[in-house]
Amino acid sequence: MLKEKGQLKFEDKWPNMRPIVLKLLKQEPVSPGEWQDLFYDVHLVCLWDEKGPAKLKDYLQEDIVQFIKQAQIRVLAQREEQALLKAYIAEWRKFFTQCNYLPTPFRQLENTLLGKSGTSTLLSGNAKKGQADESIVRKLMLDSWNVSIFSDIKHRLQESAMKLVHAERNGEAFDSQLVIGVRESYVNLCSNPNDKMQIYRENFESAYIKSTEMFYRVKAPDYLAKNGVQAYMKYADSKLREEEARAQKYLEAGSNAVIQSCVDVLVGKNLSVLLAECAPLTKAGETDRLQLMFRLLERVPDGVQPMLMELEQHITLAGLADMIAAADVITQDSEKYVERLLELFRKFSTLVHKAFNDDPRFLTARDKAFKAVVNDTNVFRLELNTGKNPGPKTVAPESKCPELLANYCDMLLRRTPLSKRLTTEEIESRLRDVLLVLKYVSNKDVFMRYHKAHLTRRLILDASADSEKEEDMVEWLREVGMPADYVNKLARMFQDIKVSEDLNCLFRTSTARHDAINIKILNAGAWARGSERVTVSLPVELEDYIPEVEEFYKKKHSGRKLQWYHHMSNGTITFMNEVGKFDLDVTTFQMAVLFAWNQRPRDKVSYENLRLATELPDAELRRTLWSLVAFPKLKRQLLLLSPAVSGSKDFTEHTLFWINQNFSLIKNGKPQRRGKVNLIGRLQLSTERSQLEDNQSIVQLRILRTQEAIIKILKMRKRITNAALQTELVDILKNMFLPSKKMIKEQLEWLIEHKYMKRDDDDINTFIYMA
Amino acid sequence: MPYQQMDDKSDVDSQKPEKMFTLKKWNAVAMWSWDVECDTCAICRVQVMDACLRCQAESKTDNYGKQECVVVWGECNHSFHYCCMSLWVKQNNRCPLCQQEWSIQRMGK
Repeated sequence: MLKEKGQLKFEDKWPNMRPIVLKLLKQEPVSPGEWQDLFYDVHLVCLWDEKGPAKLKDYLQEDIVQFIKQAQIRVLAQREEQALLKAYIAEWRKFFTQCNYLPTPFRQLENTLLGKSGTSTLLSGNAKKGQADESIVRKLMLDSWNVSIFSDIKHRLQESAMKLVHAERNGEAFDSQLVIGVRESYVNLCSNPNDKMQIYRENFESAYIKSTEMFYRVKAPDYLAKNGVQAYMKYADSKLREEEARAQKYLEAGSNAVIQSCVDVLVGKNLSVLLAECAPLTKAGETDRLQLMFRLLERVPDGVQPMLMELEQHITLAGLADMIAAADVITQDSEKYVERLLELFRKFSTLVHKAFNDDPRFLTARDKAFKAVVNDTNVFRLELNTGKNPGPKTVAPESKCPELLANYCDMLLRRTPLSKRLTTEEIESRLRDVLLVLKYVSNKDVFMRYHKAHLTRRLILDASADSEKEEDMVEWLREVGMPADYVNKLARMFQDIKVSEDLNCLFRTSTARHDAINIKILNAGAWARGSERVTVSLPVELEDYIPEVEEFYKKKHSGRKLQWYHHMSNGTITFMNEVGKFDLDVTTFQMAVLFAWNQRPRDKVSYENLRLATELPDAELRRTLWSLVAFPKLKRQLLLLSPAVSGSKDFTEHTLFWINQNFSLIKNGKPQRRGKVNLIGRLQLSTERSQLEDNQSIVQLRILRTQEAIIKILKMRKRITNAALQTELVDILKNMFLPSKKMIKEQLEWLIEHKYMKRDDDDINTFIYMA
Repeated sequence: MPYQQMDDKSDVDSQKPEKMFTLKKWNAVAMWSWDVECDTCAICRVQVMDACLRCQAESKTDNYGKQECVVVWGECNHSFHYCCMSLWVKQNNRCPLCQQEWSIQRMGK
């Protein structure tokens, strides 16, 4: 074995090796012995002949090229396209299979050429794909194929393949394996280890994209012109899906470029035509078509944005138009208003759900539009500045929505025909609906004020339909982010009313004769801060109780003072006349007025004398009398008057009033001899003057809250730019109200003036906190 | 003319059944507040009708409504939250408003 170098020559060995190599190339059977010999010979040549490896490589290449040339002749002999492809693919498959076998015996050659010592790599096994791919012989084979056959006919191949794809697009069936086979050869041909897809991408894929584009560039405008936009959308959508499926079949995974170019041609080029269709579809609520459009436009940049704007605009306009059309009804009836609003919400939420799958971008657009509808001031205006001092503190009018929402809440929570009609579950779901709308309201503080007033009435009149639901509602308000101090105040009222009930029980058991009186003694801090009391001269039947109650209370508590809130108190009286006997639920003021006739049942009493008897302030007396001469629910009024007037403002001091001795409740057109009627109406919580103060107090509170929030932010940030401050401010205050730019500016100036903060010397738009 | 003067008191009881209007039920409403001269506690600057700052902060976990935060009056007749004052006297046994020696006159209940 140990011969000297140069004793064994390549030329001696090659004649033995060559036939085996050729057999391998031609896929002819090779015996195990021949296979073994080839290994051995390669080994010998590499080991003993210095020039052997280079020569071996050259000769090998020569044979490979020769073989390929013959293959090429066989392929090119085919004229017809399908046959050409078929032949090519057959030759290629055969060749490619051999690419995996032929390199194996030449591993020693490769190692020598690379200058490595042979053994270690030999042992590591040649089955590893990574190694096989990098094989020099394999590269040699593939490169030769690439240079000698592929470069010559690749255009014909591509063209033929694309023609087939084109035919398929036109609906002709063919053997898809032909195209797939061609693609495979493109992919596998590449021997560049850094970019295996190079040949495929530069040739096959780009040809595919080009032909696809060409196809639709012609077809799409044609279809659009012939069939119209709506059919075109369906066409584009189905074609895109089709192309996606086709790309999956004919292209390597990860080739997005072709779909992108399809989108460009099918959607991008016709964007404006498609978008023009968006408005009418949105208006008509065509969810299927909108969804189609959404699917298409989502594929192009900036395609969805115009749709979002369209949706927002549509909801806003349609919502407002609906509100304005129904203005007569809904301004009067909060139930109808809220239900109308909810109906709108449901309609558009369904639209967003069905057409846009609740895509967050569309939900945001919907919410923006809802906000615009709810806070619009065209239909309802709430004037907060009360007209009294339209000076510098004029506040822009706000939507009345929160007031109506609170009214609706009241109707659900109070014992009303509405709340009696509904089941507990229905009431709960409607209350949830209210909270949903409330989310969009920007002046939530107004809702809170009205809600609290309604709650006060319900608790004082014991008019809650369901006290459990009342307390649930408070928790729900907390859940939706109403300010804690406000919610706590409501909770405190419930607590306080319970304390008061216990006290009433004690009072009623303390003596025997109090069966006619119930007392509510409430914490002024929780219920009635700053509200004004009204003086009244009580009928003696009532007056008698006062000292007793006060005495009793003094024994229970010390350091407390009591103030009677007769404008809130109420009761039931029995009225007897010629027709019969009636129970009347009345306010204490109504009682005071009516009891004036007890001593002179048939007298006509002048306004002036009633004023003297009751000592009620003018406004209260007028209001009370009006409720007795013109109570909306009654056919026969309790009081009659002369001369007749059209409103409480028209009473003069000489207007005469007397009891209607024919008063009766009418049922089915017949006067009843017995009955009960509630004349309280909406229990008055405050006088007109304090209502005005109420409005001002809302404005005042907003100012304080704004100042408070500014200081809070500055304390934390130390210095902050105007823009950042505004953003944080809105964030803090949004659960109460939306601070206007003007108010923020005014409050900033005030705080600067009072040295809580200052502007930065270098930048007037930056504020600095001053401790 | 005040109401009582119109009413002939002697026959209130005897004539009751024949009267045109008779009282069946009266739900009287009154508000109580601490009988103080100044609404605000000078120590915590919160209205005396509300719980003091400290109690408000703690009440989040408590079941509020149980009004334990009462008012206290000194001999000088100045009043504060009891909670606030009991902390104050630990440092300075004088009324924060008039500097008189602090001694409790009465407690709210």
